[in-house]
Amino acid sequence: MLRVAVKMLLGDRVKYAGLLIGIAFTSFLVTFAGSYFAGFMTRGFALITENPRTDVWVMDPAVRSVEPTTNMPSSALDRVRSVEGVSTAVPLALGRADVRFPNGRFQSFQVVGVDDATLAGVPPLQDGVTAMALRAPDAVIVDPGGTTGKLQTPVETADQWYGGPPRLNVPTRKLGPGDDLLVNDRRVTVVGRARALSRYPPRPLLYTTYSNALRILLPERRRLTFVLVTAAPGLAPRALARRIEDRTGLRARASDDFKADTVWWILANSEDVGDIETMLSIAILVGFGVMGVLLYMFTNENLRQYAVLRAMGATPQRLMTMIFVQAALCAIIGTGLGLGVCAVAGQFLTGSDYPFRMMWFTPAVGALMVFIVSVVSAAISARCALTLEPGIVFSGR
Amino acid sequence: MQSAPTSAPGCDIVVSCRGVTKSYGSDEAKVAALRGIDLDVRRGELLMIVGPSGCGKTTLISVITTILNHDAGECNVLGRDVQRMSEQERAVFRSKSIGFVFQLFNLLPALTAVENVAIPLLIEGVPWKSAKSRANELLATIGLGARTTALPANLSGGQQQRVAIARAVVHDPALLVCDEPTSNLDHETGHAVMEVLRSLTEKSNRTVIVVTHDHRIFEFADRIARMDDGRITEIVEGKDREQVP
Repeated sequence: MLRVAVKMLLGDRVKYAGLLIGIAFTSFLVTFAGSYFAGFMTRGFALITENPRTDVWVMDPAVRSVEPTTNMPSSALDRVRSVEGVSTAVPLALGRADVRFPNGRFQSFQVVGVDDATLAGVPPLQDGVTAMALRAPDAVIVDPGGTTGKLQTPVETADQWYGGPPRLNVPTRKLGPGDDLLVNDRRVTVVGRARALSRYPPRPLLYTTYSNALRILLPERRRLTFVLVTAAPGLAPRALARRIEDRTGLRARASDDFKADTVWWILANSEDVGDIETMLSIAILVGFGVMGVLLYMFTNENLRQYAVLRAMGATPQRLMTMIFVQAALCAIIGTGLGLGVCAVAGQFLTGSDYPFRMMWFTPAVGALMVFIVSVVSAAISARCALTLEPGIVFSGR
Repeated sequence: MQSAPTSAPGCDIVVSCRGVTKSYGSDEAKVAALRGIDLDVRRGELLMIVGPSGCGKTTLISVITTILNHDAGECNVLGRDVQRMSEQERAVFRSKSIGFVFQLFNLLPALTAVENVAIPLLIEGVPWKSAKSRANELLATIGLGARTTALPANLSGGQQQRVAIARAVVHDPALLVCDEPTSNLDHETGHAVMEVLRSLTEKSNRTVIVVTHDHRIFEFADRIARMDDGRITEIVEGKDREQVP
């Protein structure tokens, strides 16, 4: 009878195509939304991803994510270095600064101060520039950090660094090597543009050396945000993190754990995430609604055929099996199509700096949700088929 | 005329109804569809049930085929008291012992002729290959050997009804119930369909109940029962069909 069920499903090509499109659209929507959300979350820990050689991140005990942060005394660096099993430990300073452009416009930047000696933490650079360029006096490297149009400087020299009111509506070009900026009234020179990972929340980035960061950021008693630690060979990052915490009283997290901490912090604290969740939930509910209705309608429109089968002696259990097989087949094929389209879309989008990250759990969640809705729809449809009066097949009814 | 048992003494009775009643609705909206049916149907006979619309013909065959529960009275079909069967038992009973032919054919549109014919066997759990083989044989017997893979939409009305008849007898049921089998067919086709029906039932001594308005097929009846207002008012032998209004 399963053969009959499958043929009933495939027999009406239009309805079958409609069902598949509905389910494929829903699984696409759910997976895409999940991947979009995952994309945002991975942007949240972009700073950690940009430091792949770091095994353990050491921070103030109150810090729970890469944002927000509070600083430690500079002595923390030496305390960490003294812990057995630490191979290298370098400082990283994070700070926020309002940066003034040559035409008077100002823009908030995240300043990232990397270790002067190793320059660890500088992302890949454009135009053949190397991180060594940061060793020049007052040198900075800029990156849009997921923003667009925020790194524009006036084209004309005449519009730059003049007295009087700002010239905001003058023609501009992309900031590049040789351009100057003012950070807290200290002039810095752009020596290159980075290809850093986009951030969440998005904001322009300004990379410089740790010592230069201390110079241009507003003076604070404490300026060390993180200590980036590499473990001695053979030592597990988590074990080293526990050891650092025991010996220094600071918070230390293995990179993967710190990424997870950051995601949970964003989920718990970011209002933007709530808005995104609401929007995506509405879209997903609409998708599921459409899919559920289509599945229900398919069975409902075939009620007479089920009545014929019941009259001929098909048991309710057998009819229910047929309906569930039809729903399962649609769900499997539709989900496969949806996931395939989502993967193809992802291939195009990842090259365009779109926050799309199809992680393992996004298709799994999509498939699970489609499965649940299919089962519920099939159950509701089956109820109609099982409670119908088989006598409707007679002409007098 | 009062309804009355009509079996001849000593005959093998396939269907036996005594005082069967059935109503729809409740309280003031209650409508009596069967008002005490007494009827015996003999093994191997072709009984036609005739009567005006709303007289209870469909309700009666629904009760006989265990699709509908009656309110009171006794109804034995093939030796089983239908009122005492569970829903599951009724389904199994129908799948093994009863064949159906409907006015609107009710073939599954997505299935080919042979697949439609094989359905009762598939319901019984016969493997697809065996079911298909049996269905093919039967279709060949009724002259549709060349149309086994045709979809119902590509068959004429007469061909569809022949497929439906093949579907009704493929599992060799003891009782065949036909609901207006020729109403949607022209006279010639209807006649041909009835010939097929007779040829498929005569040899096997199968009992056939036909609900019909079509007086042109009365000649095929062994007996004709006339119903009116929920009662059987008259039963005549087929040869006396001219007496049926």
